This record gives sequence, structure tokens and C-alpha cells, in this order.
Amino acid sequence: MKRWTLVVIAAVILGTLLGACAPAAKPALKVGTSADYPPYESKDDKGNYVGFDMDLIREVGKRIGRDIQIVDMGFDGLIAAVQEGKVDAVIAAMQATDARKEKVDFSVPYHFVQDAFLVSANSNVTLKSAKDAAAYKVGVQTGTIQEKWIVDNLVKPGLMKDENVFRYERADNAALDLQAGRIDTVLIISDAAQKLAKDMGLKVALTTTETVSAGQAIALPKGSALKAEIDQALTDMQKDGTIAKLQQQYGLQ
Amino acid sequence: MDKIVFLFEYLLQGLGVTIGVTLIALALGFALGTSAAVMRVYGSRFASACAAAYSTIVRAVPVVVIIFILFLVIAKFIDLSPFLAGALALGFASGAYQSEIFRGALLSVPTGQMKAARAIGLSRFKAIRFIIMPQALRLAIPAWSNEATLVLKDSTLVYVIGVPEILRQAQYVSARTLQPFLAYGAAAAIYLTLVFLLTRVLHTVERNYRLML
Repeated sequence: MKRWTLVVIAAVILGTLLGACAPAAKPALKVGTSADYPPYESKDDKGNYVGFDMDLIREVGKRIGRDIQIVDMGFDGLIAAVQEGKVDAVIAAMQATDARKEKVDFSVPYHFVQDAFLVSANSNVTLKSAKDAAAYKVGVQTGTIQEKWIVDNLVKPGLMKDENVFRYERADNAALDLQAGRIDTVLIISDAAQKLAKDMGLKVALTTTETVSAGQAIALPKGSALKAEIDQALTDMQKDGTIAKLQQQYGLQ
Repeated sequence: MDKIVFLFEYLLQGLGVTIGVTLIALALGFALGTSAAVMRVYGSRFASACAAAYSTIVRAVPVVVIIFILFLVIAKFIDLSPFLAGALALGFASGAYQSEIFRGALLSVPTGQMKAARAIGLSRFKAIRFIIMPQALRLAIPAWSNEATLVLKDSTLVYVIGVPEILRQAQYVSARTLQPFLAYGAAAAIYLTLVFLLTRVLHTVERNYRLML
């Protein structure tokens, strides 16, 4: 019994030491994402990570001379993962908001977005401004900037009841509930809205920048030495038209 | 039809991960569960209190939270892969439930067994190891089988830290094809098969080793 315990402890210590001493010759850059958000990031039927963000980060990797290793996890866990150094960077159609900036550093923005309100095809919901959504049941994705906007601008001022905010783990689940008539509208990024509208026979009631506070950027740990290099690569890609080409390729605005 | 075959092939890429996570979690849970149960029933007052605290606290905390804690906090000091962090977190959680199963089993071994073992000169430790434990483990089989199926299903939770098990594979397909019923239906069919096989195996074990007291 005792000997076994010793063997196990020895094995654990040895394993830890070996792990710590692994060679560190320019290891691949570990980049976290949540691969369930086409056209930004998803997995194709061969299991490859594809999408606008994926092509973009690989190009960045090429320019700074690092291999890119994509690490997939739930969107909610990404900020914590980059804070704790489980990944070196995060690219996940993530907007560089002030709240997130308290936790992590962001690169220069690589893409500016609009948000859109999706409604079902035969819906008579009309929205002149984002604030009009207060009268309806609104679906949002948990932990997103859109959820925060609804809560801060409609729920907290008392324009809207919190029970009318429906939070979903994933955008396509929200779209399904919209189709089923359980909610009146879904607020998400315009590009994703366009794709969902096309694929699921929904329509876009309003496209707006009212709910957008920041561009999408790559999240890095506080004080990361990579920031300068990545910013430079992104700026170059902005200038030489690489980003514009990728946007066009994926049908983004 | 081709599409369905392809879908299953795609999801089954997660099969090894699901089985791996489940087996590691069950094994760790077994080790923790039996130890905590023995401490609880036969340990000193302090050991018993520790085991009780472990069981109460861990059963009160959602498994997802335990997974996040292990992956993000503990892994700061030891570099655990998401796979290992997820499996160990599940095992740590399962250990609490298993400790209750084994505690119940230990308590249902008649007290006369311990007295008789001590009377023929066995130490307390040897009595537990050679007389009480073998009986308790066999008594615990039905309840433990149930816990095994629960751990199998809880293994879906490790997707939050990016372990590509069957459910996460289904999420990829659902996000890509926008046919969630197909993707999740196929995942459900795979889990049903796994649980069915697992219960059959455990049922055979139970039949061969059952103990009637």
C-alpha cells in the first residue's frame, strides 16, 4: 500500500519535471478560439479549423515567424484561458471592450462590425433603432457584447424586463428558437446574422452600429511581448489588402 | 445515407476521448471514493470530518466549476493538458459521489464481521482490507453502475475547456450544417449505445459477484 503511494508520487513528480524541461525552441503559438461561429471560426468536415479568423491568424503567424496551433474551447472560457496563460492569444470574433480590457490586452482591431436584429421570415416586428427591441423578447449569446448592451441599455434603465432577455450558449440555438417563435428577435453580429438568415430562412430587421462599442481584436495576456509584433503584422495586412481580401472571401463587410 | 454514415464517422472521432475521460474519472473517483468512505466510517474523528467535508463540498459545487478551477487555477502550477484536467476534475467530483456509495456499502456489512475479524487477531487495517472491503465492494456494485453511467454522461462537460469529445464534435457539425437535430440525434444514439454496453458489462459483473447478506 505504502510502496504504491510512493511510486505514484514519484511518477507524478518525474512527469512534472520532464514536462517543465521540454525544449523551448520557438514553440507554436497557442491560439484559443470557439470553433462554432461560422464564418469566423468553425471546423470543416475534415476536422480542420476554417474561417476568416483562422486564415487571418495563420497569416499573422507566417509574418511573425511562428507556427499557429489552434486550441478550441467554449467562448466563456477564453478570457480566463488567456489570463492564466493556457493559450498565448485568443481570436474569436471578440470585440475589444473596456470590460475585457481590464482583464487582457488587445491587439489593434482587425475588423469592424455591425450588429443586426434577426427576426423570423413572417415576423411583423419593426425596429427603427436598437432601443425599440425593449418591447420584444430578445435572444442573445451568453457572455457576448450584445448581451451586455441589452442589459446595460435596456434592462438596467428599466425599459425592458430581464425575463425578456433570452440567453443562449450558441447563436444557432437562438436562431432555432426564433424560428420556433419562442422569441421575437435575436441580436448578433451582422455577418453571422446574414449567414443565419440565408441558411435558416430568417430575415434581418435592422442593421446597426448603435450596439457596437469596439472593433474585433486579438486578445493577449496583460503585458504580452507579442503585442508589438502582432500589431505590426495586422497593420501591414490592413495596408497591403490581405485583410480586405479575406473579408471578401468570407462575405464579410 | 452517405451523409448519415459520414456524420457518425465524424462524431466517433470523439469516442476515444469520451471513453478515456470516463475511465480516468471512474478510476480516480474509485480511489478517492473508497478512501474517503473508509476514513468516514473507520477513521479518527478528524479523518472522518475531512472525508465528510470533501463529500459535502464537492457534491454542492457544479462539476463545470470544478473543471474550470482545476484547468485554470491548479494548472498554473502543474501544466495539465485540457484532457487530463477535465478527466481529473470529473474524477474528483465523482469521488465525492462514490464515497457516499461506498460509505453505504461499508455500513451495510454487519458489525459482527469486524468483531470476528478482530477476535481472530487481525489488525484493524487488515480487517478492513481483507474482510470488510471485499464484501462492501460487492454490495456497492448496483449503485456504482449507476454512477458509472452518470460519469459517462458528465464527460460531455469537459468541452468547456476544449476537449473534443462526442458532444463537442456534434456542436461543430451543428454550427456548420445548421441541422442540430441530426447532429445531436446522432450524438444521443452514440451515448445510448455506450450506456447500453456499459450497463450490460456491469450487469454481468454484478451477477457474478453479487453478495446476499
